[in-house]
Amino acid sequence: MDRNRKQRQLLALPYVLWSIAFTVIPLLVIIRYAVTDKDGHFSVSNLLAFSTPVNAKAFLISLEIALICTVICVLLAYPLVMVVRRLRISRMTFMLFFLIMPMWMNFILRMLALQMILSNNGILNMIVTGLGFQPLALANTKAAVIIGVVYDYLPFMMLPIFNTISDIGEDVLEAASDLGASPLSVFFRVILPMSLPGLKSGITIVFVPSMTSFVIADILGGGKIQLIGNIIEQEFTRSTNWNLGSGLSAALMLFMLVGMSFTIKDDILPSHPVKDEEGEKKEAPGGEGISRRAVL
Amino acid sequence: MENIIELKNVTKRFEDDGSAAVKDFNLSVKRGEFVTFLGPSGCGKTTTLRMIAGFDTPTSGSILLDGRDITALPPNKRPINTVFQRYALFPHLNIYDNIAFGLKLKKIKEDEIRKKVTEVLEIVDLAGFEKRSTSTLSGGQQQRVAIARAIVNEPEVLLLDEPLGALDLKLRQVMQRELMRIKKEVNITFIYVTHDQGEALTMSDRIVVMNKGIIQQTGDPVSIYDEPQNAFVADFIGESNIIDGIMVRDRLVKIQGVDVPCVDTGFAENEAVDVVIRPEDLDIVEEGAGFIDGLVTEVIYEGAYYDIRVMAGDYEWHIQSNMSATPGKKAGLAILPDNIQIMHKPRSSDEEIIEKD
Repeated sequence: MDRNRKQRQLLALPYVLWSIAFTVIPLLVIIRYAVTDKDGHFSVSNLLAFSTPVNAKAFLISLEIALICTVICVLLAYPLVMVVRRLRISRMTFMLFFLIMPMWMNFILRMLALQMILSNNGILNMIVTGLGFQPLALANTKAAVIIGVVYDYLPFMMLPIFNTISDIGEDVLEAASDLGASPLSVFFRVILPMSLPGLKSGITIVFVPSMTSFVIADILGGGKIQLIGNIIEQEFTRSTNWNLGSGLSAALMLFMLVGMSFTIKDDILPSHPVKDEEGEKKEAPGGEGISRRAVL
Repeated sequence: MENIIELKNVTKRFEDDGSAAVKDFNLSVKRGEFVTFLGPSGCGKTTTLRMIAGFDTPTSGSILLDGRDITALPPNKRPINTVFQRYALFPHLNIYDNIAFGLKLKKIKEDEIRKKVTEVLEIVDLAGFEKRSTSTLSGGQQQRVAIARAIVNEPEVLLLDEPLGALDLKLRQVMQRELMRIKKEVNITFIYVTHDQGEALTMSDRIVVMNKGIIQQTGDPVSIYDEPQNAFVADFIGESNIIDGIMVRDRLVKIQGVDVPCVDTGFAENEAVDVVIRPEDLDIVEEGAGFIDGLVTEVIYEGAYYDIRVMAGDYEWHIQSNMSATPGKKAGLAILPDNIQIMHKPRSSDEEIIEKD
């Protein structure tokens, strides 16, 4: 058995080599840069640079935008998922396809398109003024960046939530309402808690990248919104102070590792293992034969 | 006894093709009764149960609880609870919170809830399981939790949708007795759905046999078994020889060209009928000594009896007897007149119900 296991572990080798080459080694290089100064002497000043007023401000704005975007994504995703899960399988496939489709377009192109839409003389303002309202001044604002991030990351919030919710058996929901739960209680007492694993991975996938993104802020913020990602990028590309850039990067990574540790733990463990004691065939509750995951 | 549940002319049509799952269903269930809906899959028994629970709404007709029309009431507003076939426990809650789910929604005080949950766990024989997670339980234990979760709310009616269907035979038999004991202890009206005739005969006060969305027969287990009203019921409940016959006159039926005395009356002269004879009511006798002779084709020893097939004309008779026979030899079949059941032919395949008397 041990030998079989060892042979099976060999299958992971290509990935292990890949990640050593492109994740582990670069990470070690960044950490080395982070803790040395330009002359190669050990120094923590790059890490501490995180707390300078400019950097701290950029960090707080990044945090604010990431939090707002994550919350908006959650608030958009849940009602959407509740509607989609009720659809017949063919329509569900279409809806999911429709939601994922934007991801097939080039990212930069998508952001440039959004820039045009949101610009002061853009399509959005044409519609708004056409309806007789005051034009919106969205271009180059925090709001524009938030719209961009939500636009880009919503599918990543929706899909894991959809997966966990579509695994909930219809009979479990019926049981809740049978026991006296109103539709609202069914959501808050059953659907929401049972979808927590999906919500957690959704948050991880949305929050972390939106915290570190800089391209969206560049394009939709018009250089006026300085996120911590923009500052790090500039240290590498313009100031060419790799040590400082690496230091800020490492500090940010540390912050997020601590912040995310609570979700990572739960994501690794299965949410509710099914144990087979009496040799009975136990399907997931309401096992309908069709795995909705397959749709994705 | 007063009626707790009444179904009046309840019809349910499927939305997609308009075909009826349940047709003009009329039934009154008395308080404290154990009523079983019995029938093959697709007979409308589960649909009827779901309409009583409130998960499905009748296309027409009305459902009354204690004389009050509840047809339009959503499930959460009905004092009725359900035990589901696949248990449908909440996997994110432990046993205690699963059972307390309904009580918490009713805003009952925490110490009151604790008392009730402890009590009900004792009833279902799971005392001390409060903190366990549902995933650590066996199928039988999960079903007990599901029963506890329902009866702790002291519903007017408990609906059970094939609750033992997912369990193996042995456990199913244990749980049947358990359910009857629990029923006695909590004294709640039970409406039970199953396709297992043995289960229905064992547990019920009254059985409602259904097919194609129509009640075929309603009665206590003995009358359903001994006096099936039509060929469907006879065939579905236990095993039966069902053979074409002609009612010559009162108390005389022609089976395979032979006149056989019976006890049935009230049929038209020379009316074509279905004759139903239970395998255990037939006796193997010497050739020529019975009402008909045939060739013994198969004899299987089943322990309590011999399972024998006898080919007579174009019909293969099924006999269960403690007398053996020799395959390949001729033998006679004998029957007592009151063990012959005569039934009207169904008027159409769709409408197999015939009300007797």
